[in-house]
Amino acid sequence: MKGKIVKYYPLIPVYIAYLILFLIGINVSGMWQLVAMLAFYCAIGQAFNIFLGMTGYVDFGYVAFMGVGTYGMALSISHLHQVQWLGMGIIIIGLLLALVMASLLSIAVGAVALRLRGAYFAIATIGVNEGFRFLIEGAKIWGGSEGIIFSGQLTQTFGRETASLLSTLWADIFLFFIACIAAFITIYYMRGKIGYALTALREDEDAAKVMGINVTKYKIIAFITSASLAGLVGASAWALKLTYVFPPQVFEIHYTVECIIIVLLGGAGTLLGPVVGGLVYGLTKYWLTVIVPGFQLLIFAPIIIVIIVAFPEGIVGVLKRRFKGTTFKKFII
Amino acid sequence: MIGAQLTGNLMQGLILGGIYGMATMGLSLIFGVLKVVNVGHGAFIMIGAFITLWIFTAFGLAPVIAIPVALIVGMAIGFVFFYLVMRRLIKAPELASLLATFAIGILLEEIAKLIFGSEFRGYNWAAGKIILPITVFPMSKIYAFIGSIAIALLLYIWFKKTRAGTAVRSVVEDSEGARVCGVNVGWVYALSFAIGIGLTVTSGVLLTMFIPVGINPYMGGGYTLKAFVIAVLGGLTSPYGAFFGGLIFGLIENGSYTLFALIPGVEAFAMTRFLSFLILLLILLIKPTGLLGAK
Repeated sequence: MKGKIVKYYPLIPVYIAYLILFLIGINVSGMWQLVAMLAFYCAIGQAFNIFLGMTGYVDFGYVAFMGVGTYGMALSISHLHQVQWLGMGIIIIGLLLALVMASLLSIAVGAVALRLRGAYFAIATIGVNEGFRFLIEGAKIWGGSEGIIFSGQLTQTFGRETASLLSTLWADIFLFFIACIAAFITIYYMRGKIGYALTALREDEDAAKVMGINVTKYKIIAFITSASLAGLVGASAWALKLTYVFPPQVFEIHYTVECIIIVLLGGAGTLLGPVVGGLVYGLTKYWLTVIVPGFQLLIFAPIIIVIIVAFPEGIVGVLKRRFKGTTFKKFII
Repeated sequence: MIGAQLTGNLMQGLILGGIYGMATMGLSLIFGVLKVVNVGHGAFIMIGAFITLWIFTAFGLAPVIAIPVALIVGMAIGFVFFYLVMRRLIKAPELASLLATFAIGILLEEIAKLIFGSEFRGYNWAAGKIILPITVFPMSKIYAFIGSIAIALLLYIWFKKTRAGTAVRSVVEDSEGARVCGVNVGWVYALSFAIGIGLTVTSGVLLTMFIPVGINPYMGGGYTLKAFVIAVLGGLTSPYGAFFGGLIFGLIENGSYTLFALIPGVEAFAMTRFLSFLILLLILLIKPTGLLGAK
C-alpha cells in the first residue's frame, strides 16, 4: 500500500504551488485576473505535456481542441438556454459536450495523423487546425465566420449576478481543477505501463515496436487524454469567460506555440515542468506587457531562441540534474 | 460564360502559381537538407516585400532591381541565423527547431513593425498590361512570372552543374554517406540554409506584384500555411517539386474559387482554403513523397 502512495509524492509540490496561487488570488485584491491567467497557462501546459512531453510528437494544431471545446460550451448555452429546468445543467452539458467533441476530433485526427512522424506530423496537425477553421467559416457551420455570441443568453438564464460570477470566478476555479486533474493523470501515466511504453517510444519508436510495445495504442491514449483536457480548458477559459466564440480566434496558431513554449520552458515530459513553465511564461509575459507595452514580443522572441539553444531540457530538467542523489529528487520529476 | 471565366481564372492561377512555387523552393530546400521545417517562412517573404517597397519608394527603381538586393540580404540573414541558432538545432528534436524558427519569424515581424509600423502600405508599378478577351494581365505580373521561372531554372542549373550543387544533392540523399565521401556537410548545411532564406526573401519581391491591398509586417502567416501545402504537393524535400507544386496549387486555388463561388450558402474564399488543407492531409497520408515524387 505504501508503495502506491509514494508513487504520487511528486504531486505534493505541484498541488502546493496551485494552492498558494489560488490563495493569493482569493485573498490579495486585484490579483485574481493575473492568477486566472497563470492558471490558464498551467492548465493548458499540463494538458499538452501529456501528449507533447511524453511522446515527443509536436502537435502544431493543438489549439483546435481548445477551439472545439469552446464551441461545445457555446452550443450548449446558445441552444439549451430556453430549457428552464436544466438550470446550471447547461454548463455541465456544455463541459460534457466540450469533452466529447474534443475527444471525437482527437480520435479522428489521431487515427489519421499519428501514422506520420516528426515534421510530417507537425505539418499535418497544422493542416487539420486550419482546415477545420476554414470548414466552419466556409460551410457556415455553427454561425460560420461570425461565430456565436451568447452573453445575452447567459445573463438571461442565470441573471446578471450569477452570469458574471460564472465568467470571472468559476471559470477560473475550474481551470485549477483541470490543472490538478491533468497533473494527476500525468503521474498516473508516468508511473504506469503507459509511461514506460511512451518513454520507449520517445527514445526510439522502431525499437519500441520491435520489442512488442503497441506504440499506436499508447500514442493515441495520450493524444485523446491531452485533447479532451484541452477541450475543457477551451470551454471554461474561453467560452465561459469571454461569452463568445469566433473562429479566427479559437484556432489561432499562436496559442499552440504558447503551449509549446510553456512545456519546453518548464521541461518536456516532467510533472513539475508545466507548472514552472506556465508560471514563468505567464509572469514574464505579464511583466513585459507592463514595462514595455507593444514591444513584448520583440523582447520575448530572442529570449525563447536563447532558451531553446542553451537549455533544451527546460528549467525542471536542469533542476533534476542539480538535485540528483539528494532527498529532493523524489519530488522533482 | 462560366467556361470563359474559369479559363481566365485558371490562367491567372498559373501565373500566381509560378510565384507560389518559387516562394516555396526555399522551404523545401531547407527541409530537404537540414530536415527542419521553417515555420517562420512567411516572415522572410515579408522582408522581401519591404525591400521592394523601400527600393521603389526611396529610389524610384523598378521592383526587378530589388531581386538581387533581396537575394543578397536574404542570404546574409540566412547565414547569421544559421550560425547563431540553427547550427545547434540540427540534431535536436523537432520541438526545438520548430519553436526556434517560429520565434525567428516573430522576431523579424516585430523588427519590421518597429521600423515600418503595422499599417498596410502599398505601391503601384504601372508597367502596362496585356488585354485578352477573357482576362487582363498586368505586365508587372508577367515580369514576376518570368522572374520566378528564371530563378527556378538558375537554381536547377546550379544544382545539376556545379560542385556545390552536387554536394547539396548528396547531403539531401544521405548526409552520413556524403560526409564519408569528403563533403563538408557543415558548410552544405550553412549554404543551403542561406540559399533557402535568400530564395524566400526574393520571392517576397515577386509576390508584392500580386498584393493589391499592400503589405504589412504580419502579411507572412498566410503564405507560410500555403507554402506548407505546396511543399507537401511537391514532396517536401525537393525544390523543383515545390515549384511544380506551386503551379498546381495556383490552378487549384483559382479554379476551385470560381467553382465554389457558384454554390449558394458557402463562403468561397474559406472553402478554397479548406480544400487546400484537405489536399495537404490526403497527400501526406497517401503519397508523402509528393505528387511528382518517386516510389
